[in-house]
Amino acid sequence: MPALHVEHVTKRYARVVAVDGVSLTAEPGRIFGLLGPNGAGKTSTIRMIAAITAPDEGRIRFGDMPVGPATQQRMGYLPEERGLYRKLRVGEQLVYLARLKGLSARAAEAATRRWLERFDATGWYGNRVEELSKGMQQKVQFLTTVLHDPDLLIFDEPFSGLDPLNAELLHSVITEQRAAGRTVLFASHRMEQVEQLCDDLCLIAHGRVILAGPLREVKARYGRDTVALDFEGGITWLDALEAEGAVKVVVRSAGHATVRLNEGTPPRRVLEAALAGAREVVRFEVEEPPLSEIFVQAVEQAGAERAAA
Amino acid sequence: MSKIFLIARSELLRRVRSKTFVLTTLLAPLLIVAATLLPILVVVLTQDDTVRTVALVNQTGEPALADSVAAALPDGFRVVQPALPLDSLRARVLRGGLDGFLVLPRGLLAGTEEAAYYSRGAGLGAQEGVRSAVRDAVRLHRIRAAGATDAVIAALDAPVALSLVTVTERGDEADTAFVSIIVGMMMGLLIYIAVLIYGITVMRGVIEEKTSRIVEVIASSARPFELMMGKVLGIGATGLVQFATWGALLVVLGAVAGPLLALTMGAAADPAALGAGMPGRPPAPEVDPAALAEAIAAVLAPGRLLTFVAFFLGGYLLCAALFAAVGSAVEQESDAQTLQLPVMLPLLVPMFFLQYVIDRPDAPLSVGLSLFPFSAPMLMTVRMAMTAVPLWQVGLAFLLLALSFVGLIWVAARIYRVGILMYGKKATLRDLWRWARTP
Repeated sequence: MPALHVEHVTKRYARVVAVDGVSLTAEPGRIFGLLGPNGAGKTSTIRMIAAITAPDEGRIRFGDMPVGPATQQRMGYLPEERGLYRKLRVGEQLVYLARLKGLSARAAEAATRRWLERFDATGWYGNRVEELSKGMQQKVQFLTTVLHDPDLLIFDEPFSGLDPLNAELLHSVITEQRAAGRTVLFASHRMEQVEQLCDDLCLIAHGRVILAGPLREVKARYGRDTVALDFEGGITWLDALEAEGAVKVVVRSAGHATVRLNEGTPPRRVLEAALAGAREVVRFEVEEPPLSEIFVQAVEQAGAERAAA
Repeated sequence: MSKIFLIARSELLRRVRSKTFVLTTLLAPLLIVAATLLPILVVVLTQDDTVRTVALVNQTGEPALADSVAAALPDGFRVVQPALPLDSLRARVLRGGLDGFLVLPRGLLAGTEEAAYYSRGAGLGAQEGVRSAVRDAVRLHRIRAAGATDAVIAALDAPVALSLVTVTERGDEADTAFVSIIVGMMMGLLIYIAVLIYGITVMRGVIEEKTSRIVEVIASSARPFELMMGKVLGIGATGLVQFATWGALLVVLGAVAGPLLALTMGAAADPAALGAGMPGRPPAPEVDPAALAEAIAAVLAPGRLLTFVAFFLGGYLLCAALFAAVGSAVEQESDAQTLQLPVMLPLLVPMFFLQYVIDRPDAPLSVGLSLFPFSAPMLMTVRMAMTAVPLWQVGLAFLLLALSFVGLIWVAARIYRVGILMYGKKATLRDLWRWARTP
């Protein structure tokens, strides 16, 4: 299976540079997470990968082939803004969209039946889309991306609006696609989902890549500077610790705290304060910072660099 | 299978199966036939068969005049001649004992005084009956008084007919210009309306796909050009299906409603056929209902229908692409108003010149307008119904239509390609122009 290569791609709209020299490589058999705050250039990048728009500079290849009508046939795309023909029946809609991807009428029909069954939705075949609930429509939309067995899958916020049960179903389908050796691109700003699913990630802000690499590596790069504590009793000791500038509190709730150690603060400093202040310490662990923390820090850092430059 | 075909097929099926399509397709011919027949039925069913009693007051001193007026009054008038003063006649009219009274004053024959008909308000039919009865009777009396013989009077009454003959290579034919005008104009208007309706349908479809965001899914499977052309062709095919259904339904309904229509058509054609049997006149083709039907059939000959359909398709394709471009730039139909203007204007041009082309189908301006791509579909159709248009002109009109179609669809596709992915900001004509130029 081929890999997806985005090479020095730039896209301008009117006066705005939406994507500014972005390069990335998504390998087959892995899930590639594309992250970034709103307006960072994620959708612009994805549209170019999907060959909906063309880059002003740089090029995008899927294997040896530049993206275009031919690669579109081998690609499934779930846009963030969902859309289906509201008046069309589910079965007909899926068959039509699969045929646009090059499937024969018979193959499209068979794939539609097979996937509806997998999604426990055989009964929807004859329903108009507008008669379905939001979550059901979401599932139908997801089916349009996998129906034609594409080699490249692009999911833009696939879990938004889904209940946990359906999210789990999608989750398993996505990991299945990875196991089948397909290239999966996954765009999101929900960090816990990215942490769960992605093998590699690329963080975009202001149209530029500010952080990239395998998830493990990226997290390791930020070091084990985070302490997680479960405890009983009061939490005032934490305020004192933060006030003197030793730590930055990431999570605080009844009986739990996650803090990042500031430069020069040893982990034991937090443990000592907790032992002194709390009634009991149940768990104490030094770990890597959560991805959301890395995300915020990287974006802030990039912002400061831009301001300096 | 080509994607354009797949998309067009899906568009066609989706539309043809919709409830609105089925309803409009079935109901429209019924409405047209109803609109044509109802006024006729109303006239037939409400025919005036009341008898009016009218008193005649003859002050001319010519007793014979009263008799000839009474004789000239149409059926439904009963004439009485009571010797009553005008005031009591007026009272009787008010009470309802009389429907009206007609006063023929002394100076009527000399032309110094005028006759007067008193009633509580005469209907149009009654007015006309009284007026012509008085006029005919007085004229006849004056002519006789001037010494005219019966032979002179007969000569005056004899009908004078003029029939219009068109000289063609196939021989003389009855001139049926009025049929050509009506049929040609109807065909021209039909093209205009159809192009507009289906063009706007394309625009709505594009807007709908854009607002429902399905367009992004489709754009990741097909080129924008394929999507646009598929849509345009699919809706065009929907139009043809609708036309064909209407045609078939009208034929069926026409067969049912035929007798009623023939009744009125026959009556209308009657005066023209009056002179047919005149002696001493060279035999000439006559306009009777049969010739009329023949004339309509000639205008609607298969060849003509074929060019009609071809011109509809040409005009539709030309405009539909532009409507698609306009639709791609907006998110709601109400926002499309200003952008529609440049598409609508060239469509309106032929409307202003319709009368001119009918009056002078062979004038240079008419020829020019019937070649100009935007007005060709409508005005060439009208011209072809009116006059024998040289084949090269029809061919040239089609060629120009095809060339401008290729050019416009290219521009439209470029606007469309950018427009369908633009959300939020309202686009202006200047934006559309910029999109068309971006590589």
